[in-house]
Amino acid sequence: MEDEISPESRDLGRALCIITGASKGFGRTLAFQLSCLLKPRSVLMLVARTTEQLNQVKEDIITLYGGQNQLEVRCVQADLEKKDGVEKMVQAAKETSVSDMDHLLLINNAASLGDVSRFALTFTDPAEVNRYLSLNVSGALSLTAGVLQAFPRRLGLRRSVVNISSLCALKPFPSWVLYCTGKAARDMMFRVLAAEEPDVRVLSYAPGPLDTDMQLQARRSSGDLQLRRSFCSMFSEGQLISCEESGAKLIKLLLDDDFLSGAHLDFYEL
Amino acid sequence: MSAVSGFGKALVIITGASKGFGRALALSIAPRLAAGSALILAARSDDRLQELRADLSRGESGLTVRCVAADLGCQAGVDRVIDEIRDIHPDIHHLLLFNNAASLGDVSRYCHDFTDVDEVNSYLSLNVSSALCLTAGVLRALPQRTGLTRVIVNVSSLCALQPFPSWVLYCSGKAARDMMFRVLAEEEPDLRVLNYAPGPLDTDMQLQARSSSADDALRNSFSDMHAQGQLLTCEQSINKLIKVLLEDKYTSGAHLDFYDL
Repeated sequence: MEDEISPESRDLGRALCIITGASKGFGRTLAFQLSCLLKPRSVLMLVARTTEQLNQVKEDIITLYGGQNQLEVRCVQADLEKKDGVEKMVQAAKETSVSDMDHLLLINNAASLGDVSRFALTFTDPAEVNRYLSLNVSGALSLTAGVLQAFPRRLGLRRSVVNISSLCALKPFPSWVLYCTGKAARDMMFRVLAAEEPDVRVLSYAPGPLDTDMQLQARRSSGDLQLRRSFCSMFSEGQLISCEESGAKLIKLLLDDDFLSGAHLDFYEL
Repeated sequence: MSAVSGFGKALVIITGASKGFGRALALSIAPRLAAGSALILAARSDDRLQELRADLSRGESGLTVRCVAADLGCQAGVDRVIDEIRDIHPDIHHLLLFNNAASLGDVSRYCHDFTDVDEVNSYLSLNVSSALCLTAGVLRALPQRTGLTRVIVNVSSLCALQPFPSWVLYCSGKAARDMMFRVLAEEEPDLRVLNYAPGPLDTDMQLQARSSSADDALRNSFSDMHAQGQLLTCEQSINKLIKVLLEDKYTSGAHLDFYDL
């Protein structure tokens, strides 16, 4: 009966909630939205490359929610394309203690589009492709592994791992070889994780076309003319989705917690 | 050599050619190439490549065979294969690139054990990046022109479609490759791109799978397949692949499995 009166009374527990790519776009929005759903004395760990933007997000969250919720917001400046960035982030997670922690929630959101102005035939330099995969694939696997090892399975601890995915994980788009390849790899990676660890709640969430800097890059730079046009018309016809709207759907999935572990769920299906 | 049973005057490039499927592919395809064709074999092991070249020379004359012992996980290795193409300067009607080189990765460990980003990067470098960069380099070295059919084969796997416990690197790499080649097919409609899953082959890779996989159920099912003679010979699988390529009716970018055909 309480749920009917105030559905927002559900929460995500006393958590360590880690969000990568938290300084802007979808990651930033999720940081705000998740802040109100974490029980007092939870820790929200925000990871990104740029300290100033991260600190701004932290300040804004604390202004809005921090005081009442006794929410600790920790900023970790790390470049997840690099090995030391991944290690720094995992170390920060290891050093975080949340008393009576009942939820570990990791949101793998940090990503890059890659150079979408070019076609597959131009990718002749393995170093470029390797760098791309290092952030978008390897980094995500290694940091997830590190965080799961830091907080191993135990009774009373719910562990959730979210992969911010894309339609591009399922469908090829011309001039988007790196992004599609990386998203396809990630979806599979997290499906294997789900198959191996039945106690970990694994979700690949495709948020839909969001109104962010990444989308701006897509509509300005995509090498394929038809694709670029379709991004432009989505923008001009107001069809882009706000980060808040998409974030809300992801959060509902996490609150309901009845998704099939390893599943790929798309904003438009929900 | 009729057009139906052979590829005519062709340049065939096979990576991972020193053993297993790649080696068998070289031996199976050579007789189907018309005089004036060239075969470039790439692998890390020079000794084994030379052995293969010797075996090939017992068969066809009029076939140029070049061996490139190189690590395709780095630019220098990829460049050496491209250099070989330019050196041969082939006058051909058909280009076939078989992206076969691959590794299983450490299947004795689980996702949560892959905390070292260098290890994952190294795996992806060989299994994903090198296939993209080599394909790009080869296609640039032999651009589209009338009378030239260009075929790109990705040796794929069921693992590109289905997750297997303790196989995160292999599954992720194969999923990545399939998508990569699907994007290529979208971008270049004149290319013939095929993701071919060869089935469970009786090779060293399979041996590694049945001795090392951490997941008990998986390891047992591999052992059973082996014990019950359910593994495929490379030749069985290659025959189907060659038939599909010669019929040339597949949708570019499709994933076809031995068991579908």
